[in-house]
Amino acid sequence: MAITPLDQLTAGMVLACDLKSEDGRLLFRGGTQLEERHVELLRRVGVTGAEVEPGPQTLGPEKLRQIEEYVRDFFLYANPDSPPIIAMFRMALEMTAEAVSRGWELPDANTRRASNVEHMHDLFLRGLGTPETIVKHETELASFPDIYFRIRQVLEDESASAERIAKVVGTDMSLSAKLIKLVNSPLYGLPQPLDSISRAVALVGAKELSILALGISAINYFRDIPPELVDMRTFWRHSITCGIFAKILAGTQIGLSPERCFTAGLLHDVGRLIMFKKLPYASTEAMLFARENSIPLVEAERAVMDFTHTDISRPLLEAWKFPEELSAMINYHHDPMDYPNPQESAVIHVADCLTNAVEIARGGMYVVPGVDERAWELLGLDAEAVLNSAAGQYCEQIDTIMEAFF
Amino acid sequence: MGSLFSNAITLRKSVGITDAEFVQLRDFIYEKCGIYVDIKRKYLFESRFSKRLSELGLPGFADYIKYLKFDSHKSEELARLFELVTTNETSFCRDGKQLEAFQDKVLKETLDRQRKAGRLELNIWSAGCSSGEEPYTLSILLHETLRAELPRWRIGITAVDLSRAMIERAREGVYGDYAFKTTPDDIRQRYFTPDPGGWKIKPEVSRFVTFQEMNLNDPLALKRVPRSHIVFCRNVVIYFDDAMKRKVVSAFYDNLLPGGYLMLGHSETLHKVSSSFKPVYHPGTIAYLKEG
Repeated sequence: MAITPLDQLTAGMVLACDLKSEDGRLLFRGGTQLEERHVELLRRVGVTGAEVEPGPQTLGPEKLRQIEEYVRDFFLYANPDSPPIIAMFRMALEMTAEAVSRGWELPDANTRRASNVEHMHDLFLRGLGTPETIVKHETELASFPDIYFRIRQVLEDESASAERIAKVVGTDMSLSAKLIKLVNSPLYGLPQPLDSISRAVALVGAKELSILALGISAINYFRDIPPELVDMRTFWRHSITCGIFAKILAGTQIGLSPERCFTAGLLHDVGRLIMFKKLPYASTEAMLFARENSIPLVEAERAVMDFTHTDISRPLLEAWKFPEELSAMINYHHDPMDYPNPQESAVIHVADCLTNAVEIARGGMYVVPGVDERAWELLGLDAEAVLNSAAGQYCEQIDTIMEAFF
Repeated sequence: MGSLFSNAITLRKSVGITDAEFVQLRDFIYEKCGIYVDIKRKYLFESRFSKRLSELGLPGFADYIKYLKFDSHKSEELARLFELVTTNETSFCRDGKQLEAFQDKVLKETLDRQRKAGRLELNIWSAGCSSGEEPYTLSILLHETLRAELPRWRIGITAVDLSRAMIERAREGVYGDYAFKTTPDDIRQRYFTPDPGGWKIKPEVSRFVTFQEMNLNDPLALKRVPRSHIVFCRNVVIYFDDAMKRKVVSAFYDNLLPGGYLMLGHSETLHKVSSSFKPVYHPGTIAYLKEG
């Protein structure tokens, strides 16, 4: 995006990204709407210009019709009479119109197809690898970050004190930094930013913070996915978005831990990462198959490979000795009602669907998978109110949290 | 901010299908062409068929099912139905690794054997050829492999597809840029001529290929396909259930001459479907050999 020079900056413009002074101090966060006094301040500190969002255009009826048609395509697979799906559809319409009015172009049919990955080799030919053998190949080869095991140990130890937990997490600088950024993000709405892990433990709770730490330390494990196959930023943005929604939805339920739901949301597609590593070609075939047939990826995986990413996450999380309730949320996010205690997996299920819906306005490629009716009923939510408020919070928070993690 | 969209916009645009109607339609489709549709795709079906229903002026799916079964236009409607249940995504030289292995190993071996036997003929069956990219690619491969020797060979490529519209497009042989996304430029230059609609396949490539509308669930039709040295069936059996897979694969087995090969799509396998074939592993693909 081009820099708008200082003399053209006016009140009402919105900053496209964080604005820093020459010596690196943060002046204003991205998204700030400039006021007269802000422009004055910029002049005083000698800032020469800033990146601002393009002003919104007005959309004509033809454009709105195109947007409607585009968004509708992503809802072909879901029940058109389901209240949460209807709410998601309307939300996706508004968000897509907003994006288009700010200059985003609706992708055409060709750009909606996968890139060419003909050189990819699968380690297992179809029928020769079961989810178990594939996971075994992975877990025998690569070892997990040490910090992960230490956090798990504290988690398992009921008597571990808050100080001990803070100490264990604190030994990993990059992990602590991420945790602190996360807790300082709008997701937690703290009145004052905190600057130490021990404060974070005190505020969020020892167990909750270690669960977050566990999830974040697991991300580091997946650094070697071929970038031509799947853009890792897009993948983690999907995961973090699902985490945010899961945390917000958990807040509407009695007795659910928002941190646990966030972590499960963050890792809900972890099985897919193993597929990318071990079966890159088949994974791509599945992605193409999903787009060609307007079906969710999980169904395409089943058609192409005979198993899905949750079949992979099951033995994987077991091998990692992941806490059981967390594993269940991840393993059952597509069929929440198959788990005896389905409330938490229902949260991830709805959060995942919602994530697909908000991604439409950012060029997401996959259809909304649909919300299980019984799962929705179990959560007892008012579709329009809850989902719109969740989407609003997501818009405010996602960029900050992405930045905290990557 | 107020909404830009009218409140009158609803997500449901099509008439609903009941579970019972869906099962009837699904079973009908399965019986006719072996394509199995999971009930999870019910809503997808609603919207895909709703346009056809309103074209026919039918109020609901029950009437549509009756129309399919009993109307005097039912055989034309069946062809329309097949269009609606198949998706057709392909390009020239799709899956280059597999084609390379095919050309270097399977094709070479087959041609050598024919030469030794003094029978310079080769039959290939392309089952599920969509708009023709695969059989034309195979014809191009033969041109590239046989070159000066080519005029002495008798080559026949039988290309079949369920969809009438696809067969018509394949016969026309005109392709837009998208079909060439996996094609080297020199291949396009050599075997296609520019056309207002994109690129048209040259007659020397298309003359080896015979296109036919064919339902793989029709055993009599399958028996009329000339015996083949090689069968290509890529990204087709993925739409079938296990029973239909077995049926089709055994028809391929019967059609193949001894020593012939079956080639499937990259991520498709005969695992759990057939043990008659001997899998031969090449980098990039598995070729299934009919021993004999």
